[in-house]
Amino acid sequence: MPFDPRPDRAQLPNYRGNEDRDVARLYSVIQVGRGRDIAATVRTALIAFALAPLHLPAEAPEFERDIRPLFESHCHACHGSELQQGEFRLDLKERALRGGGSGVAAIVPGDSAGSLLYRYVAGLGETRMPPLEPFLSAEEVSRIRRWIDAGARWPESGLATDADEEEGMFEQGRAHWAFQPVARPSPPEIRDGHLADLARNPIDAFVIAKLAERSWTPSPAASPRQLLRRVHLDLAGLPPTIEEQDAFLRNPTDAQLDAVIEDLLSRPTYGERWGRHWLDFVRYADTNGYERDAIKPSVWRYRDYVVRSFNADKRFDRFAIEQIAGDELPDVSPETLIATGFHRLGPWDDEPADPLTDRYDQLDDMVRTTSEVFLALTVGCARCHNHKFEPLTAKDYYSLTAVFAPLERPQTGRNELLRPIGRRSELDAIEVRDRKVRGIEEAIEAVRARARAGFLRSGRSALPPRAVKAFQTPADRRDQVQVSIVKEFQRKLDAELEAAMPDGARSRLSALEERICELHAETPTRDSAYILHEPEGRPDASHLLIRGKASSPGPEVVPATPNILPFRARFSAWAPGDRTTRRRLALARWIASPENPLTARVIVNRVWQFHFGEGIVRTPSDFGLMGEPPTHPELLDWLASWFVECDWSLKALHRLIMSSSTYRMSKGWNAGYGAEDPAARLLWRVPYRRLEVEAIRDSILAASGRLNTEMFGPSMYPYVPPAALEGSSDPDKIWKVFDEEEASRRTIYALVKRSLIVPMLEVLDLCDTTKSSPIRKNTAVPTQALTLFNGEFVNRQARHFAQRILERVPEDRAAQIELAFRLALARPPTQRESNSLLAFLEREERDGGGGEGARANALAQLGRVIFNANEFAYAD
Amino acid sequence: MNGLGRSPLSRRTLLGRVGAGFPALALIDLLSSDGFFKAHAAAPEGLLAEREPHFAARAKHVVFLFMNGAPSQVDTFDPKPALTKYDGKPYQGDLTVGSNNRPIGHLMQSPFEFSEHGSSGLEISSIFPNIARHADDLCVIRSLYTDTAAHASGCIQMNTGSVVIGKPSLGSWLSYGLGTESQDLPSFVVMTDPRGGPIGSASNWSAGFMPAAYQGTLFRSGGSPLLNLEAPEGISDRTQRRSLDMLQELNALHQDGHGGDSELAARIHSYELAYRMQTTAAEAVDLEAESPRTREMYGLDEALTEDFGRKCLITRRLLERGVRFVQLYSGGGHIEDTWDGHVDCIANHTLHAGETDRPIGALMTDLKRTGLWDETLLVWGGEFGRTPTSEGLDKPGRDHDWHGFSMWLAGAGVRGGQAIGATDELGFKAVEDPWHVSDLHATILHLMGLDHERLTYFYQGLDQRLTGVRGEVIYRALA
Repeated sequence: MPFDPRPDRAQLPNYRGNEDRDVARLYSVIQVGRGRDIAATVRTALIAFALAPLHLPAEAPEFERDIRPLFESHCHACHGSELQQGEFRLDLKERALRGGGSGVAAIVPGDSAGSLLYRYVAGLGETRMPPLEPFLSAEEVSRIRRWIDAGARWPESGLATDADEEEGMFEQGRAHWAFQPVARPSPPEIRDGHLADLARNPIDAFVIAKLAERSWTPSPAASPRQLLRRVHLDLAGLPPTIEEQDAFLRNPTDAQLDAVIEDLLSRPTYGERWGRHWLDFVRYADTNGYERDAIKPSVWRYRDYVVRSFNADKRFDRFAIEQIAGDELPDVSPETLIATGFHRLGPWDDEPADPLTDRYDQLDDMVRTTSEVFLALTVGCARCHNHKFEPLTAKDYYSLTAVFAPLERPQTGRNELLRPIGRRSELDAIEVRDRKVRGIEEAIEAVRARARAGFLRSGRSALPPRAVKAFQTPADRRDQVQVSIVKEFQRKLDAELEAAMPDGARSRLSALEERICELHAETPTRDSAYILHEPEGRPDASHLLIRGKASSPGPEVVPATPNILPFRARFSAWAPGDRTTRRRLALARWIASPENPLTARVIVNRVWQFHFGEGIVRTPSDFGLMGEPPTHPELLDWLASWFVECDWSLKALHRLIMSSSTYRMSKGWNAGYGAEDPAARLLWRVPYRRLEVEAIRDSILAASGRLNTEMFGPSMYPYVPPAALEGSSDPDKIWKVFDEEEASRRTIYALVKRSLIVPMLEVLDLCDTTKSSPIRKNTAVPTQALTLFNGEFVNRQARHFAQRILERVPEDRAAQIELAFRLALARPPTQRESNSLLAFLEREERDGGGGEGARANALAQLGRVIFNANEFAYAD
Repeated sequence: MNGLGRSPLSRRTLLGRVGAGFPALALIDLLSSDGFFKAHAAAPEGLLAEREPHFAARAKHVVFLFMNGAPSQVDTFDPKPALTKYDGKPYQGDLTVGSNNRPIGHLMQSPFEFSEHGSSGLEISSIFPNIARHADDLCVIRSLYTDTAAHASGCIQMNTGSVVIGKPSLGSWLSYGLGTESQDLPSFVVMTDPRGGPIGSASNWSAGFMPAAYQGTLFRSGGSPLLNLEAPEGISDRTQRRSLDMLQELNALHQDGHGGDSELAARIHSYELAYRMQTTAAEAVDLEAESPRTREMYGLDEALTEDFGRKCLITRRLLERGVRFVQLYSGGGHIEDTWDGHVDCIANHTLHAGETDRPIGALMTDLKRTGLWDETLLVWGGEFGRTPTSEGLDKPGRDHDWHGFSMWLAGAGVRGGQAIGATDELGFKAVEDPWHVSDLHATILHLMGLDHERLTYFYQGLDQRLTGVRGEVIYRALA
């Protein structure tokens, strides 16, 4: 369906065009209505909403616009879905009209004087509502009066606040496929002998059975060359070498391909390829964003941890636990601590507009990322109010926020600090040391304070008298001007004091400072990492925030997992002596449990997606009511349960998927099937999907022979043209000088600077670096063509490619073309391609004036053409 | 369930998957297999294909004159006689003012004289003599406010509506909602200052969670306007075309077996577009085509005004070619290289107003002359305002003020010759008709024919909006 921000009205028979309420009613009918098509119908309803006419100011108060916001901001905290003080709730029409426990009607349409609600808000009797600030203004009270007197018109159902409607959504939720325990369906039996022969494993049985329902057959197998290139690109992100091509083609059987896959899984390039997918999910970048957009110190160690974990085939349940709660594990280690860098990867503002809001933004980043990555739940939408389209409440959201709330960001002012890492005993020793150091630091400050007071009293300060007075005024009693003066003169006073320090105090200070040095020498911090930190001590209470506002705390919440899921995490209460709250550990163990209905389904779906271009669920980070249902639900469940049985081994899952004949189908088009199912949702073929920019760039480097395979460590700086730096606020110092050797490392090691994404990566759809990103966008815009055709990188590599060819085949043009094809595309050219390219090279060489230079230039053009070809950017 | 049915998410899926093909696909002749698209009409609808607005639009283009660093309201469009009266007195109010815990000083009057202009008598400071000639076209909003005192989050909020990075910018929303008339030029063009970009850099013109096709494209005002627009050094035009033809031949051969794959087709098409862009984009910035008189009018004859003048003149040429949204930055880098007059606001504003006043005046005159005035909305302003107090005790700088500041709108659909809203007596805080940045955004979208509540993009489980949960159209600003 082509996008149109103003959808065709003809699609919406129920639309009458001028009344919001009709649309709202339509919505409610749909909302509680049907089964699996809810996403579609809700969406239709949303479109209908979008068609609602523009609001213009009207005379009588209108409920949705004028009244509900008042109720929401002043009343719902105590009389809403979470709390019903006095058994009264004002978020549901029926309950609001009926009134609370007193049995007196709260709202009598047409009679404000007889309505308890009005009497309370107007303060006509003893009881006044709301009891605390913010109170209603006179205008707001009058607005409520006018609304009641005009008949208290309250549309039958506003957005998801009608009880039936909300209940309907939760009922849907309880029956929703993704929230049910994972089943272990038996693979269907294929009766047709020919089709049965095609099935190599249970995956094929599920896929073929579904095709057979329509009497369709799967696409034929891809050619051995296509398959070899496909598995190399899938598992390594690099094309097969000529030697690898020759070795495989000597015996191109399915079993031999299994062996190639096994070999690729054992190579370090596997972790570089699949680790990058993981980095998309976890919003990895090397800088914090915003004004300074500074490099996050040693954040790359998290990236290396990911690469190593994939290569080690770490159990996925363990991988999840380490990232969420590696610091709370009994067997804590530098590795599990670095893993928790996961929570600190998001952007953060070192100069936040409002520190409290910023704090909740950071928690939001953790809640959203964790719930989307592992659970494919869009819990984040419930930050300001209950989720409008999912059975997730604000209470669910804030209960999860409470899990992360004890985490602190180690920093002094704007400077980010690292935290020590090590084994348990080392961490404990450092903890003891730091407690001692803090005590000494307090003693130092006390000595200084005494000396400062004496100095100011003595009249020896050269500061203006008003400054001396300002400093002598206790900090909490200074007026605005004094606060300014203190800021302005602090340094001068410090310098004066340093010079005038009495001898006794001076020697006391140096003894104390020396003691700190000794403590650090006795118990050095051997290693540290860019992670958050949970300090000891009783955690603060967490609260639900009314309408998501940091300044409006509502009822207290305790850590809990979303209510809609019957399987719940067990959080233990804090006890004195606890190092941490172990809240994240409880959450992590719940996520990593075989009983969790989401975790295994979500990760097998993600792995499937990167092999097939699309997941079985095509909204991989949204398994909720609004997400798409799986195209092959039984297959998804079968894979999820199988995966857990295989000890959550990702490599086992790759092996299984890639050994299926489904994976090995050709990508050829079938006009008949294509007309009915162009997106190949039934998997009659494997659809095309452009390689990620990393695989394109790395493959070009591999073909040109310049790939630097050095792994790990600080990020490298790819070439960025000076013109691209012009948009930066620091064009001169923002980027490092180009070092070709370094820049020729794999793209996963390229620095991701949030305010300056390397143009080639950005234009070729690198993921959003600020939020969890489940799918790479896949656009085809002219700036991509300009980048790959005219850009520095491709043309430089094309020249290297030409040299590489010339070294091996100095003269024979046909052989040069063949070599180029085999290096870059892992196949020889067809006769027709060869003929065209021969003519092309001849003309280029001739126009270039002949000779060696012209020959190299012509070959570089050949490289440029091949690196830009569709075949290069797609696995066949 | 019917697994083949039209997906309820097809719009979203499509946006994520299919590239910017264009309706008139001049592609068939490139392909050796005839009837390429016949079987499935799968020609990709372009991300940037022109689309109808929600309702009749007053404007078709926006020019956002971004005064980077935050101009002072009391020195530009918000005269405050009381400041003269209380000049040098300490500020005793209870507003948190300033930024970064910098000390605040005393109230400081504007050194610039305000006078009435046009038949409307709109008061404008003496640093804008040329803009003042268009006083009757300006709608000054004197009561804007934002949520932040920091440049990065301020610029990002002014551009994306949110202080948190990662949201699409205004230009991206317009490109998404309306597409572009121009097939060979980007829909959303950004021109930064030679001293550097705004703080937050590309986050300011990012497409956020939308496809990259909607992000702002940096145009340079000199030399080759676009990154990688020109053939690499040493490559002749003939080689360029020949290599492209060779590429498309290989692509067509590859396509033979994959007839219905629209994704492959879209990529083939993008190369042809790119080739055309090489001519059209270069031509759009070729100011030699303009008469000497025009060039002079824009200030290209003077070092002070040349850079911004070039940008303004290029802007007119881009508008003529159908570009939807042009954003020009005055000031770049940090502190005094921008409007960020912490040290000496007088010298600072004299410089930056001097650089921009004549070019902006010329652009307004020229738009009226060419008729583009009636379809173009001009927006002038920075990320917030500046304090009526001096910064520190004894220097003529001003710190950040986000409680109240001025911007102006002019052009299509705007009721000119008026100032709406007001700050307090001293100019600190918007007290009369306060308007949030999101209200400004809602108003800009409204003038472009888009309802800010209906222009949504589904992402992370939510129909996202430029205005989030806020936004109210400033009807008083409309003609």
